[in-house]
Amino acid sequence: MLILIDANHGVPAYRQIVDQLRFQIASGRLPAGTELPSTRALAQQLGINPMTVSKAYGLLEAEGLLRHRPGLALTVAPQSVAQVEEEREARLRAALEPAALAARQLGLSKTRAVALFRQLLSETPVAEENADA
Amino acid sequence: MRDVTSRDTPMLTAESVLSFTHVHKSFKSTTALSDVSLEVPRGTIVGLVGRNGCGKTTLLHHVTGLMLPTSGTCTTFGVSTNALGAREHARMGVVHQHAKLLGWMRVEQLLQYIATFYESWDVSLSQQLTDRLQLSRDGKVAELSPGNVQKLSLVLALSHRPELLLLDEPLSDLDPTARQDVLAILLEYFSARECTIVISSHLLHDIEPMVNRIICLEQGRVTANADLDTLKESYAEWIVTTRGTPLPLSWSEPGIVRAQGDASQARLIVRGELATRESLRVSMASRYDIDIESRALNLERLFPVLTGDRTTPPERAHAIR
Repeated sequence: MLILIDANHGVPAYRQIVDQLRFQIASGRLPAGTELPSTRALAQQLGINPMTVSKAYGLLEAEGLLRHRPGLALTVAPQSVAQVEEEREARLRAALEPAALAARQLGLSKTRAVALFRQLLSETPVAEENADA
Repeated sequence: MRDVTSRDTPMLTAESVLSFTHVHKSFKSTTALSDVSLEVPRGTIVGLVGRNGCGKTTLLHHVTGLMLPTSGTCTTFGVSTNALGAREHARMGVVHQHAKLLGWMRVEQLLQYIATFYESWDVSLSQQLTDRLQLSRDGKVAELSPGNVQKLSLVLALSHRPELLLLDEPLSDLDPTARQDVLAILLEYFSARECTIVISSHLLHDIEPMVNRIICLEQGRVTANADLDTLKESYAEWIVTTRGTPLPLSWSEPGIVRAQGDASQARLIVRGELATRESLRVSMASRYDIDIESRALNLERLFPVLTGDRTTPPERAHAIR
């Protein structure tokens, strides 16, 4: 499990942790039963206040994405198929909103924008190439 | 893994470690603190921020009783600051902005000398800290660089394991690596015990990851006293772009605290909870022919907003700077 945050971002650190864990759970990279690092361990690894980590964990637990049983490590809770599907769509939607705005501002037709997205979906992205393209 | 369960016993309790009630402080005709009321609960790391001369140091001096209020009351550990005794002082650790240490001693001598004032002095902690900060114990205090004076001040403030740490610009003379070392040490110290830290600094990027509360002063008044996350979530920067029709010359919508830009694009600072901002966004999108891109503001970018006027008439948006 890799969580990377930018504590100097305007999005609060706890929010970044929540979003990344939700993404990793929705993508299946963190299957049910995966143990999470302790509050203190993650806080130390990220160089942030431990209360920030407990806030993030607490929220995910309240949402039913994490499960906490006394005396045991915090684990990823089992998810229903519908829950996972809903979460996947929510994540993608958040990623697409800025792209839709850019397409509108650039004056690109809907057909052209959708065609571009379809093309990107079938490409194997190579980070270095994309950066210079 | 076991300390996950510590979330069941949250570090934050209702007990206030320090408290100010309607505190005024004047020096002759100068007002240094004006009607300051605040509470800092145990288990908090407070970032005390504000422009030069806004009263940060004066406020910290009131916590230790080094200064007493002209009117109003200050208490630390529940004791009025004009009655603080050795017992309370032993529970505090202070790093002064310009530490005046006994220059003729060697570092080792000064550590041993200060240790005699505290029953709780932890020799192994002080050794660990000087090692980690790469501070030689042989040097003469007077010959230390400003950075090393700051490191030594921190070791002196921490080695008796205080419950309340008051740090006045503790990073200002340190290089970036040493600053990261000091911040890591403070976070470890905080994580290991129930303590409270108040840290004043202009180095907002450095303190942002560790603080969970911001107290902002402007001309001796508290202009913000809030949870850092809440603060970040209470403001947004909107980049407004027209889809054709020129943008209005001024923005009168409630919640817009700053505006700049021209007829094609504007940058607005909007205050309000997410739900409030969303409804403003919807109403503006229906009134104007615009796209709105919302961005979050970090502490550095919030700073000018927090230290500006507290009133929010929209006309101010254009009047300012």
